[in-house]
Amino acid sequence: MAERMLITLSVNGVAHEVAVPPRRLLSDVLREDLGLTGTHVGCEHGVCGACTVLIDDRPARACLTFAVQMEGHEVTTIEAVARDGALSPLQQALHEEHGLQCGFCTPGIVMTFEAFLRDNPDPSEAEIRDVLSGNICRCTGYQNIVAAVRKAAAVMRGEAL
Amino acid sequence: MAETPFTQIGRALPRREDRRFLTGAGRYVDDIALPQALHATFLRSPHAHARILNIDSSAAAAMKGVAAIVTGQDIAQWANVLQMAPPIEGLRPTAMEPFPTGKVRFQGDLVACVLATDRYLAEDAAEAIEVEYEVLAAVADMDAALAQDAPRVDESLPSNLLSEQHFASGDVAARFKSAHAVVTACFSQHRQTQLPLETRGCAAVWDEGRQHLTFHTGNQVPHPLRTALARRLGLSESQITVVCPDVGGGFGQKIALYREELAIAALARQLNRPVRWREDRLENLQAACHAREQRCETRAAVAADGRILALELSMTEDFGAYCFFPGNYIARVVALILTGPYRIADYTYRVRVALTNKCGAGPMRAPMAMASWVMDGTLDEIARQLGLDPLSVRRVNMLTPAELPYTMPTGELLEDVTPSETLEAVAAAIGYDDFRRRQAEARKQNRFLGLGLCTVVEPTTYGSRFYKAAGILGSGHEAAWVRIEPTGTVRASVGLMATGQGYESSLPLAVAEGLGVDVSNVRLELGNTDVAPYGMGSRGARGATAGGGALYLCARKAQEKVLAIAAHMLKLNSAGDLRLREGDVERLIGGAWTGTGIALTDIARTAYLDPLALPPGMEPGLDVSQAYDPPPMTYSNSSHACEVELDVQTGRVSILRYVVAEDCGTVLNPVVVRGQQQGAVAMGLSGALFEHVFYDETGQNLSSTLADYRVASACELPNFEILPMHTPNQRTPAGIKGMAEGGVMGAIGAVSNAVNDALAPFGVTATHQPLTPPTLRGLLRGRI
Repeated sequence: MAERMLITLSVNGVAHEVAVPPRRLLSDVLREDLGLTGTHVGCEHGVCGACTVLIDDRPARACLTFAVQMEGHEVTTIEAVARDGALSPLQQALHEEHGLQCGFCTPGIVMTFEAFLRDNPDPSEAEIRDVLSGNICRCTGYQNIVAAVRKAAAVMRGEAL
Repeated sequence: MAETPFTQIGRALPRREDRRFLTGAGRYVDDIALPQALHATFLRSPHAHARILNIDSSAAAAMKGVAAIVTGQDIAQWANVLQMAPPIEGLRPTAMEPFPTGKVRFQGDLVACVLATDRYLAEDAAEAIEVEYEVLAAVADMDAALAQDAPRVDESLPSNLLSEQHFASGDVAARFKSAHAVVTACFSQHRQTQLPLETRGCAAVWDEGRQHLTFHTGNQVPHPLRTALARRLGLSESQITVVCPDVGGGFGQKIALYREELAIAALARQLNRPVRWREDRLENLQAACHAREQRCETRAAVAADGRILALELSMTEDFGAYCFFPGNYIARVVALILTGPYRIADYTYRVRVALTNKCGAGPMRAPMAMASWVMDGTLDEIARQLGLDPLSVRRVNMLTPAELPYTMPTGELLEDVTPSETLEAVAAAIGYDDFRRRQAEARKQNRFLGLGLCTVVEPTTYGSRFYKAAGILGSGHEAAWVRIEPTGTVRASVGLMATGQGYESSLPLAVAEGLGVDVSNVRLELGNTDVAPYGMGSRGARGATAGGGALYLCARKAQEKVLAIAAHMLKLNSAGDLRLREGDVERLIGGAWTGTGIALTDIARTAYLDPLALPPGMEPGLDVSQAYDPPPMTYSNSSHACEVELDVQTGRVSILRYVVAEDCGTVLNPVVVRGQQQGAVAMGLSGALFEHVFYDETGQNLSSTLADYRVASACELPNFEILPMHTPNQRTPAGIKGMAEGGVMGAIGAVSNAVNDALAPFGVTATHQPLTPPTLRGLLRGRI
């Protein structure tokens, strides 16, 4: 197998020097080499969405990305979403609307919609469901996740609920 | 909720678990760091049925990072056979090797296990193992399996017929003779899998010095799992600790001790080194556990108004290649509860279970789910054949409130259920009469709407007497402890294990209610067999009744001790006029509850640190245990109404509305209950419309990725309208009934009945799930 490559991996604003084989997945490097286990691996073929992280602020599947591709890019994971112990409006809305059960898909959903809500401050239910269709949740039936995204959008727009 | 006598039970509180999951701080088994651990991967059979002639792992063993490669011959020395031989009439006993030695029985069956320093290297080495097989003819469906001279999946058995059971009540033959009509109906449910988003996995650590195994795994039943591990490894239960961290869904898949887990535990002990395994999704879809592949035929003797005079059921189940559970039990519960909320006294069934060369079957959220589809689907077939309205056929057959409690023909007792109330509630909410008008209008415009109804009685909590009556070894009890620490903080534990149900946010309410404190003062500890009492774990919908009931009774017992101490401190002869409320002791004086100035914190301090101030003879501390065995069976009930539109050009089904009225008795936390209702309905719809574990005729699994095994996304599911009802069970602590599976049962039936209602103008009926566009287009071909 090919030699390890030395790369600089920038995750959540911190630069990490890591030596990794070229085939090693970003999801495994985040979880096993950097200890950022909030990024979950649900299928390793890009369907379930549990491993979604932000690469340069865009949602991407960490299980379909090699860590060595990340040289020169900025990766953001679930661990960086809450600031100073305060949940983001989306995290808070998911809590209030009971938008999670087993929690395994939750980090991927949070990352998907943190990015989405930045670009779409007032999404319709159909738009939310369309984007959410890239994340499988086996527990909730999605209804409360949709409600939470709508609530978070309203809070972020500064509207009283 | 309506007025209740409770101050804590029934509080709609957001969940305690959420913060860690939302911030990426949840801890699932694969998140646990274990220095020096070896990573396991399994080599699996590419054939559905084959003899293993030779395994050459010499090249693989020499590869980088490889620590060990073992086969069934090795593991046979370290682990025991699983005997599945409960004393059940009609069920053949089976024995399962710890790991296959001579023969593999399905595609994905185990052949070898590779341990390496990382998972990539282990998978490289697995690919380099050379295996010589003698491929055998495979049986890939239940009919082929039960044919004369079929290849035998288990060669120790005389045939592939694993179980056959019969039952008869009343005089069915006489009813058929005098019937106005005889209506037959067929129902074929396809193979599915639980698909927890977190696949299986485990990590085993052997402490050679202490001769002790710590086994980390996400499992629904930690103590029974420990017992199974001890038995299979030849260890005592005191030598094993099972630790369950957060679990990313179970749905029945995480109950049995699987062979992979047994191998990992055995290897950690043999190599004296931590070993871990994380299943990948392909393995999970091919080889974890499958479910639901059942076919039912009903034959009903009916009167002119659609009344059922007698009912016959013939059922066959495909159980796959191995028995991790007694082969009869899932199918039998379908037959046992089939007649549900309907007035049927004359009933007979025949249930057969077949072994096939497919992944072994087990329970999946609502293992008896098919029952409601079969029963309400039979009522719809009666309505179609007699030209009656489906709702009126339900009304003439349904038990009225005056007829309850009611003993079903199989002896099951229905009490404290409200099926006619839930049915009328959903019919009104969905606008049943107006729907028929809208449906007729739409048809004129070539749009095809359908409305499906399904009423469910959901068996929730199985008590020990149910198991005894069914001839199954086991218990339905649950155990709890409540400890009030010296500072007055309350800890509690129970033998359940959470896999996403929100136990930490619901069960403490039962403790808080029973004890008389605010729920914020109660912390629940689950999933460590050294901490939790020995309980039967989480399966069925028993958590709230068995677990919540045990905790509630335990907390009441703790309150009794607290008040006995308070009475002594207050120099009263008895605690009869005392209560604990929000952590303060109150006394009934002149008809009013009045503060005494004594708080739980005072009593806790006394109990632990000043035991001489306790009543004479009382033991120090506040540490209370309680076991609880629920009634033989408790039932919740619900009615579902589903409106669909069928695109007859593409076969696509769109769900326009979905209404559920559910009576699940006293609920601990309505937030959690509503989430369970939504999730259960979603799983039922997803299964009926999309999910399909599909094998070809040679036994190759063609649904091994999530692109092939399709589950419903947010675009295919509707918002669910839920009408909550709360008739308490008179026999259980606090009136708890249990819930969380009925939604699956009702959804499978309601959506199927709705699709058939939409198909009615074309004179065709869908009898096979899943109701995919190709299936429905196939029915419509040549008829549009």
